[in-house]
Amino acid sequence: MQVFLQTLIGGVTFGAVYALVAMGFSIVYRTMGLVNFAHGSVVMIGAYAASTFYMASKLPFAVAIIVAIAVTALIGLVIERFLRPLENKDFTLMLIGTIGFGAVLEAGAVLVWGATGHAVPSPVATGPIDVAGIRIPTYSLMVIAVAAAATGLLALFLQRTKRGAAMQAVAMDHQAATAVGIHVGRSNAMAFAIGAGLAALAGSLIGPMLYVNPTMGGTLGIKGFAAAMLGGFGSMPGAIVGGLVFGLLDSFAAGNFQEYSELVTFLVFAVIVMVRPTGIFGEATVNRA
Amino acid sequence: MKRLMWLVPVVVAAWLLPYGLGGYAIHVVDVAIIFAILAVGLGLTMGVAGQINLAQVAFFGVGAYTVAILTTQAGLGFWTASVLALLAAVVFGVLVGIPALRMQSHYLGIVTLGLALAFTNWVTNAHIAGRAEGISDIPVPPMFGIDLSSGYLFYYVELIVFAVALAFALLVTRSPLGRRLRAMRDDDLAAGSLGAEIPLLRMTAFVLSGLYGGLAGILYAGLIRFVAPESFNIANMFLLLAMVIIGGRSSILGCVVGAVALALVREALLDASGFAQLGYGLVVVLVVVFAPKGLAGLPEQIRSLLRGRGSGSRAQLGPFQPYDTAPRATEEDVLQIRDVTMRFKGLVALDDVSLTVPAGQIRGIVGPNGSGKTTLFNVVSGFYSPSQGSVLLRGREVTGLAPYRLAQRRVARTFQNLRLFEDLSVRENLLLGLDRTRTWWIWRYPSVPWKVLGYERALRRRVEDLIGRFGLAEVADAEPRSLPYGIQRRIELARAMAMSPTLLLLDEPAAGLNGEEVRQLAEIVRSIRDSGVTVIIIEHNMGLVMSLCDQVTVLSNGKVIADGRPAEVAVHPDVVAAYLGDSMSAPTEATAEAAAEEAAR
Repeated sequence: MQVFLQTLIGGVTFGAVYALVAMGFSIVYRTMGLVNFAHGSVVMIGAYAASTFYMASKLPFAVAIIVAIAVTALIGLVIERFLRPLENKDFTLMLIGTIGFGAVLEAGAVLVWGATGHAVPSPVATGPIDVAGIRIPTYSLMVIAVAAAATGLLALFLQRTKRGAAMQAVAMDHQAATAVGIHVGRSNAMAFAIGAGLAALAGSLIGPMLYVNPTMGGTLGIKGFAAAMLGGFGSMPGAIVGGLVFGLLDSFAAGNFQEYSELVTFLVFAVIVMVRPTGIFGEATVNRA
Repeated sequence: MKRLMWLVPVVVAAWLLPYGLGGYAIHVVDVAIIFAILAVGLGLTMGVAGQINLAQVAFFGVGAYTVAILTTQAGLGFWTASVLALLAAVVFGVLVGIPALRMQSHYLGIVTLGLALAFTNWVTNAHIAGRAEGISDIPVPPMFGIDLSSGYLFYYVELIVFAVALAFALLVTRSPLGRRLRAMRDDDLAAGSLGAEIPLLRMTAFVLSGLYGGLAGILYAGLIRFVAPESFNIANMFLLLAMVIIGGRSSILGCVVGAVALALVREALLDASGFAQLGYGLVVVLVVVFAPKGLAGLPEQIRSLLRGRGSGSRAQLGPFQPYDTAPRATEEDVLQIRDVTMRFKGLVALDDVSLTVPAGQIRGIVGPNGSGKTTLFNVVSGFYSPSQGSVLLRGREVTGLAPYRLAQRRVARTFQNLRLFEDLSVRENLLLGLDRTRTWWIWRYPSVPWKVLGYERALRRRVEDLIGRFGLAEVADAEPRSLPYGIQRRIELARAMAMSPTLLLLDEPAAGLNGEEVRQLAEIVRSIRDSGVTVIIIEHNMGLVMSLCDQVTVLSNGKVIADGRPAEVAVHPDVVAAYLGDSMSAPTEATAEAAAEEAAR
């Protein structure tokens, strides 16, 4: 039981980060139909940016995160501008184009920060809290809280503000949105910037939990996509639930199969999506008629 | 034979190449050839068949690792191990491809990528695969006393394997199988309605992928004689993708050029690998945005730029040559629809519809928008499985069969919004209808390839008759999207007739046609009926329906409200009410149609 709960907490912590990755991915996908395979690399850049500012300039961690978000949001705008001709077009080209961007970011990270990577000290100094024999790291609590707060803010933005509503409208029908006077390009750019910002947040949070290195984006990105797919592509609640489910799957696989956890995770994932390709809150179909 | 003369200098150059290269250079060339084989495999699955397969590098790994494990740990000979490795790679390909039966595009991409990661995870940790250190001392492949540890001599082995692999890939793309794969890539629903067995074709694509991956893996094991996880990681998958995209994914030769070029460039930039990766990334992004068809598509792109907008004279349709009249068929019923109900999440699109169509009839189906006409066609042609009721074709139950099975039972259809394969020429569109072979016919590709070529030639002779009959000679080599709407309608009708159907379903064939074209259409449909084909036609043009149809069925709100000779039906009070209608019901019907289409998508 104790082991189970301990694994559960680890799973929820990683799940919260996966949910942030998946949400950033989903907001771009739903507003402009772009499957952004560079998203994982943006997460990696976010992790590097936050940890570098935090360690080199002795900024408080929160400030470092905000700087990182600003940096990656800018990168997001650049990617969006480049790939605009591909939006809502041939999927294969989008896939390759964004993978290409991912490679550029990864190579850029190697050139700037070197290939080896660095460890990030935990920004929370206090020891783990002991609840009925289960040790809950304070940093985990912070990650979960920050992720929850970000989710809440995003939901408020999408549902309560005019710009958020415009973005929802573009997601549903970009032609109709143009017809009622919404600047679709600007709305898309903003969605991309928000997506990249969420990626940076996820990257900054996961930095102290993992080793920050240029290739971390690949695995994190794929796990984020898998989470989005489990929840249902393009659905925001789906991204959250999918992220948590994937985090739990990941940590229980790690607990029971040690080094083979990745193998087990992706096999289980493949079986789940075979049974239910649309995910939990997914689009009506996968094969559009 | 003359057409193959250009091959001679290529072969001679390839044969003489090693004499001009140093020991390291020949090694680089050997590696490039292996990448070229991999790229051909990826081009076949992704470019030709449209299956997003991001696990190609894992198939490569399965081939190489199987050879390594079987030779070093089971003590098998290199070539025995190779045969088993090829088998293993194909089996693995099929397993990875199974998700393709349920999902496509980015879904498939993510799942295959996940499975590729699972493979890397396994080889990095399994003892049998040598964990992170990999497996060294794979034996030198024996070859009648020729020492294959020499990169020069191994080059010739690779060259022969590559030539065979390339020839096979070209055979596949330029024959019925490749045409079907491309049709499936462009529009799998339309391909299914022409009789392409979509699930089997998708698996075929993954078998090909596994085959080429495995082949490359075996050569890799024989050349390097050492395998380690990092050779099969995601970064190499990206490199492979870059090769295929830069070369041009739907052209096999383009893939080869891309692979060889990038492999050589990578070698040249080995000292600056950080900048090199930045370079590939940028080149890939630029190619995707500015030259989506890659190097292979560049000549075409430049030509169309030079030619500019002013294209020549407008294409013209030739006259239709009527079919021979067949003797009046027996009075059996071709189609029986019994109590069919179709529900979409609470919305009833068809409500207990029954109708019977006797052989040799032209049956009209009319009704206001949203009355369920196209839904009825979708049920008959297998796109929907009805919630209740049954569909009988010549007395045999066919309810819920897949579209390709109905196509094999000679049910052909056209679509309301035209579903021509846009990237295939008009002739190829027709060839797809003409080709009635089943997917299992492809056993001929490896065993008797010349028969495949013979069959293809025979098909191409037969298609000329069809082109002539439908007056399409002038447009036969054009892409459908460049043609006027009326001609596209005619092409779709010709494609359906290429299947020599016994039951032809026409969904609003006169939509968008001018008066003269409608008159020609009526003439063609009558001739088709006289040749012994039963025709069911959905149409809003009442003049056409009245003059053409032998019997008319009227649908409204998913129910049959009238059925009879055109003149009787036209004056039926319910029909008049449904068309001119009471204003209260009209908006409901419109919403019903929108909702039905939403659910169908």
